[in-house]
Amino acid sequence: MRNTWKVAKWEYKRNATNKSFIISTLLTPVIFLLFAFLPSMFSGSESSNDPEAMKVYIQDEVGLASRVEAFVNNKESFNWELEFVEENKESVLSSVPEEENQAFVSLTEDTIQNGVVEVETSEEVTDSFFAQLQLLRQPIQDYQFKQLGLTEYQLQQITAGVSFETSEAAAASSGVGGADQSGAVKGELIVPGIFALIVLIAIVLTGMMIFQSASQEKKEKVSEIVLSSMKPNELMQGKIIGYFGLGISQVTIWLGFGIPLAAWRMEDVPILQYLFVPELLIMVFIAILGYLLFAALFVGFGATVEDISSSSNFQGFIMMLPFLPFVFIGPILNNPSGLAATIGSFIPFTSPAVLIMRMAMLEDWPWLEIGFALVVLMISVWLMIKLAGKIFEVGILLYGKNATPKEIWKWVRA
Amino acid sequence: MKQTLLSVEKLGKSYKDKQIVKNISFSVKRGMVTAILGPNGAGKSTTIRSMMGIMQPDEGSIQYQGYPEHGVPHEKVGYLPEERGLYKNVKIMDIILYFADLKDYPKKKAKARALDYLKKFGLEGRDKVSVEELSKGMAQKAQFIASIIHEPELLILDEPFSGLDPVSQDVFKQEIRQLADNGTAILISSHQMNLIEEIADDLLLIHKGKTVIKGSMEEVKEQYSNYKCTIIGENEASLFTGLPFVQNVERDGSKTVLYLDRDVHIPTWISHIPNESAIQEMTIDRTSLHEIFVGVATEKNLKKSGGM
Repeated sequence: MRNTWKVAKWEYKRNATNKSFIISTLLTPVIFLLFAFLPSMFSGSESSNDPEAMKVYIQDEVGLASRVEAFVNNKESFNWELEFVEENKESVLSSVPEEENQAFVSLTEDTIQNGVVEVETSEEVTDSFFAQLQLLRQPIQDYQFKQLGLTEYQLQQITAGVSFETSEAAAASSGVGGADQSGAVKGELIVPGIFALIVLIAIVLTGMMIFQSASQEKKEKVSEIVLSSMKPNELMQGKIIGYFGLGISQVTIWLGFGIPLAAWRMEDVPILQYLFVPELLIMVFIAILGYLLFAALFVGFGATVEDISSSSNFQGFIMMLPFLPFVFIGPILNNPSGLAATIGSFIPFTSPAVLIMRMAMLEDWPWLEIGFALVVLMISVWLMIKLAGKIFEVGILLYGKNATPKEIWKWVRA
Repeated sequence: MKQTLLSVEKLGKSYKDKQIVKNISFSVKRGMVTAILGPNGAGKSTTIRSMMGIMQPDEGSIQYQGYPEHGVPHEKVGYLPEERGLYKNVKIMDIILYFADLKDYPKKKAKARALDYLKKFGLEGRDKVSVEELSKGMAQKAQFIASIIHEPELLILDEPFSGLDPVSQDVFKQEIRQLADNGTAILISSHQMNLIEEIADDLLLIHKGKTVIKGSMEEVKEQYSNYKCTIIGENEASLFTGLPFVQNVERDGSKTVLYLDRDVHIPTWISHIPNESAIQEMTIDRTSLHEIFVGVATEKNLKKSGGM
């Protein structure tokens, strides 16, 4: 075990101080941020403060001025400059088409009667103007109701509208757990789910570096010197642990940027509160199992490849396996309890990602199914590590050629 | 008598139906250089890899003095394999310290030793240079340093001279000899017979996985390395065949080689050379290790008391 740690430490240090690794670690969040914010910087989205103000003239014949003004001032995202006009309507109207970002809203007795608000705008208006305009419906409707002489209670009833609350019959009768869960906001688990998925993706991607590391070790013929000091299994495990550390460091840096940023951008979602829940532990545990599975796979098959450019389709196919869960994204989003989702949970190469996605979406976890899937996954990890050990042991010392699937099969059976 | 550090008894290893190494026995002693020789594919590297535990031998025993288990204690052995390399994008010092760490050798001592050796091998001030910037010869030196950084009791060198220029070969040769003189037991495999002849104390020559010649350098030379007389000049082979003490005559163009009996007295024998011989050049020396080796490799009959 001591040798395993020495190798892990070495692999970590060697890569963590490698310039390309540092650059990619720091650059990834920067690129991500760039992609996330560049479009909104150009187009100016709804949520960002519109730099351009909208000049809105309101012709008020019914005395709604104070209500509208209060309403507009209450909305931070409204960048409206209000001006109430009464007499010189004609002169204002004539100037509107010539200017930019101007509008003329007329609130007359007819408006209240017919419910149609006449709005005239200049050719150019701000992107969010029409969406904001819709919100003016509220003060106007309030006024309409008042005119009808409705009481405060009646008003409340009307404005509350009608909503439907649905629940599955089976869930209701499932017993104790169901009652507690009913209050949980759907989507609360999406936060730890996304967190665990990012961890999974980051460590599996670093895990792919193991393939290169093993292949390089073989190509550069260092393995025999190293193996004169330890057993092949210790070298292999050291690599798996070392790259795990690298992946975790990388994802820590990314999330170190990401979580505060997400918390800041999405003020109305209590991200930290959602994130640190017991469910997160299970999800991260699944992510780690996923890493171990792929890391073992890569370290084993990396040891069979000396020259990646001349390796066969077989090894190329292995490199594609981590991307297999993408096939299940559509069906899971459609129905996280559906047949495809269930099947995906029991295929070892897809189950880590599929399980995390399902757990993030489902309010009530199908514990029995999750338990079975976890057992299948853990057995697969154990088998894969055994298998990789056998392949690694022979493969790493086979110089000068890439191993064929037939040879690999022979080593596995030996 | 020097103390035996490692003894290998009746080592055997097969792949599928093919026996690579069969019944190989030898020992390595403290302060001595033991050479393991043989043509390509003779089983040298298999023997060494089996000793290092990189391969599992099918039969035989490997006993290291004072080590209760089968095999060798890794921290006491230095190993320079035939197939060797270094991580490319790493500083020389880092890689040497890593190998020292793998052998549980204190970092501080390792660093001081590494600096000493880098200086000795003309790599002073290059400890922070990345391996990929080194020439092949320099990288070999760094590998050699890495294999001896932890002051091993037993040093195993598989083809240490391959790829080295003559100057570097001399540096390595001297260092190996010096390590042996300081008490390190050394096992070396090489094709450079002239270098082996200069530094080895004991010899083991294997061919097709079997021991062909074994013994100390003197014994082997005594047994296999008789006098031979090489004459350059246009002569018929028959001119020499009847001479006393001549076992065998080989002729190749204008070069004639006379292989002599073991108990020949050279000053007396010279007078038997016929007066009519055409002699442009003449040398009398012993058959070299090289010739013994070639004899084995080409499967010519070896005669203990005769020529080849």
